[in-house]
Amino acid sequence: MDRIEQRIREAVKDLFHKDRVDLVIGFREGSLPLKSRPVFVRSEDMADDLVWNAFCRGNLAVYLPKLFPPQPQRDEDKKPYPKIGLVAKGCDARSIIGLIKEHQVHRDNVVIIGTPCLGMVDKEKVEAVMDGDAAAQCTEGENGIFHITGISGTKKSVPGEEIFADSCLECPCPLPEEADVQIEGESRKPAAKKYEQVETFEARSSEERWQYFVDEIATCIRCYACRQACPNCYCNVCFTDQTKPRWNGPGDDLSDLMLFHIGRIFHQAGRCVECDACVHACPMGIDLRLFTRKLGRDVEELFEYVPGRPEEQPPLCVFRMDDNQDFITEP
Amino acid sequence: MAAHVVRKADLKKFINAVKKKNTFLGPVSRKGDVTLAVVGLDDELVLSYSNFKLPPKTLLFPKNELISTYDDNGMVEVLPSEGEVVIFGIRPCDVLSLLHLDKVFLDEEFVDPYYQERRRNAVVVALACTEPMKTCYCTSVGGSPAGEEGADVLAFDLQDALLFEGCSEKGRAFMKTYADYLQKPTKADLASRNKISSEAPKKITPINVTGLTDKLEEHFESSLWEESAQPCLGCGVCTFTCPTCHCFGLHDEQYGQRGIRMRVHESCMFPSYSLEASGHNPRNANWERMRHRIMHKFHSTVRNFGDIFCVGCGRCIANCPVNLDIRETVAEVLHE
Repeated sequence: MDRIEQRIREAVKDLFHKDRVDLVIGFREGSLPLKSRPVFVRSEDMADDLVWNAFCRGNLAVYLPKLFPPQPQRDEDKKPYPKIGLVAKGCDARSIIGLIKEHQVHRDNVVIIGTPCLGMVDKEKVEAVMDGDAAAQCTEGENGIFHITGISGTKKSVPGEEIFADSCLECPCPLPEEADVQIEGESRKPAAKKYEQVETFEARSSEERWQYFVDEIATCIRCYACRQACPNCYCNVCFTDQTKPRWNGPGDDLSDLMLFHIGRIFHQAGRCVECDACVHACPMGIDLRLFTRKLGRDVEELFEYVPGRPEEQPPLCVFRMDDNQDFITEP
Repeated sequence: MAAHVVRKADLKKFINAVKKKNTFLGPVSRKGDVTLAVVGLDDELVLSYSNFKLPPKTLLFPKNELISTYDDNGMVEVLPSEGEVVIFGIRPCDVLSLLHLDKVFLDEEFVDPYYQERRRNAVVVALACTEPMKTCYCTSVGGSPAGEEGADVLAFDLQDALLFEGCSEKGRAFMKTYADYLQKPTKADLASRNKISSEAPKKITPINVTGLTDKLEEHFESSLWEESAQPCLGCGVCTFTCPTCHCFGLHDEQYGQRGIRMRVHESCMFPSYSLEASGHNPRNANWERMRHRIMHKFHSTVRNFGDIFCVGCGRCIANCPVNLDIRETVAEVLHE
């Protein structure tokens, strides 16, 4: 880990030195245990702020679309787009590829600093391991064992696999594709793509599935952290925020919550790279992963499309004579 | 009424007696979290929590509140009708936040009837903190883990018993009503109570807010705002989990010739909050909105109400998806 961190810093310094970037987005040390946080590195001497550890959760690609505003919204002096380096895990890189395909990011202006990922720690899993004693410190030791100390002094040592986020345990591609600069280091093995959780959910009756959905989203506080943390949610004005006309009520009435969540989830079909930035951002611990993956799986089955791979075009952008049409039903 | 105790073995009897007369809200387990909710028949009180995920403001100022209905004959105001509610388990920082909200909603000139009705009917039984969190700094903004300010009754968790102290007329009357269930505390009870109130504050890392209000005014145009807000995603976690944030919007829903008017929580971190009808937005950038939020807590409210509208509960720090830490922003402003 430390060596990866050192290599990232050196690579970033080199990029600045060669004038290949104006800005690098990476992670720096957080103010709380189990948290590293995004940092905007604008010069060579800031590169030493960068860290790499098992707490670099969240998807940094979320910042990119704002840095590439479409023409009519750009400053009058039409400055050229900045050159941006991004310390990218596999999931961040998949999102960047998605954003390039959707013409939100200019490929030539992005330097993907591909960083091998072993998995990121899920705070809630740590809480469960600690039996309610909040973690005061968590450090990675030898052989991927994490040593956690609680506020009241409880000490636990657990293997990373027990506390890594589900999105990491099921990650199809922990080593970023399409990297412009590849950081050397060990990454976790790609998981065989499995939809066990989704299949278990699908096997339940429609009443049970509906009830689960309702129970999960009923706790939503409409903070939109899920939307804001998602690289795919770059709409200028989200449908749920529009007021002329107002498609959706603003409060926590169940029907309004449903409309927002169904809208959000459907807009992710065939686009979500399953990084779980939304899950990580949600303060209420809503199981957003299951619902989004369900639609991801449908797209994979119907159109043989997996988002985040450079060579494939999104299903809505291509037409094939043998496209699946099962979803078209008689009224 | 001086301090009294209820042994944990007798707690259920006491609560059942309260429940007979009032709605009783307390810390109960819901979906793996300890939540402040109406205590049901099968619920056990859970006392092993640091604080609730969401602040108590929603009890007095709900996220979604029907305030009036209208039709061809005019408008009818809908006032809350929940009756007396006993709220047990709010932490002292959050109790302090209710005093701040009082200043906004019970202002002499503009009394908010909906808030007023709920506030009048609420008996606040606070629970002193024994284990403050890493994100707590109540002692720096006028609070204390065992502070009684604003509470009707202050409770202490003494492991085998709960100790209650009446802090207001309402609170003392409440204790008198249930005097049959309360016992005189032993010397050991009082000793452990004092241990909590003297030990807990020591576990808190204070922050400095001296001179902050003036500094904010001075550095309104500073470049620090744009820099420190760079990672901000622009979600509403900080405002919706803040116990003192109290902004709301009005929202009408029309069904033919009749309709309802609702009051819904709003967040100054959303662009739509400050968007004007012309299409102009005076706080168009994320950093301007973040500056506004910090200014409102540590500057405007100090000028308007004489109080910092932050109680140091640490929710905005703990819940921010990108770990923006208000303590650091405050320190940066003071350092300018």
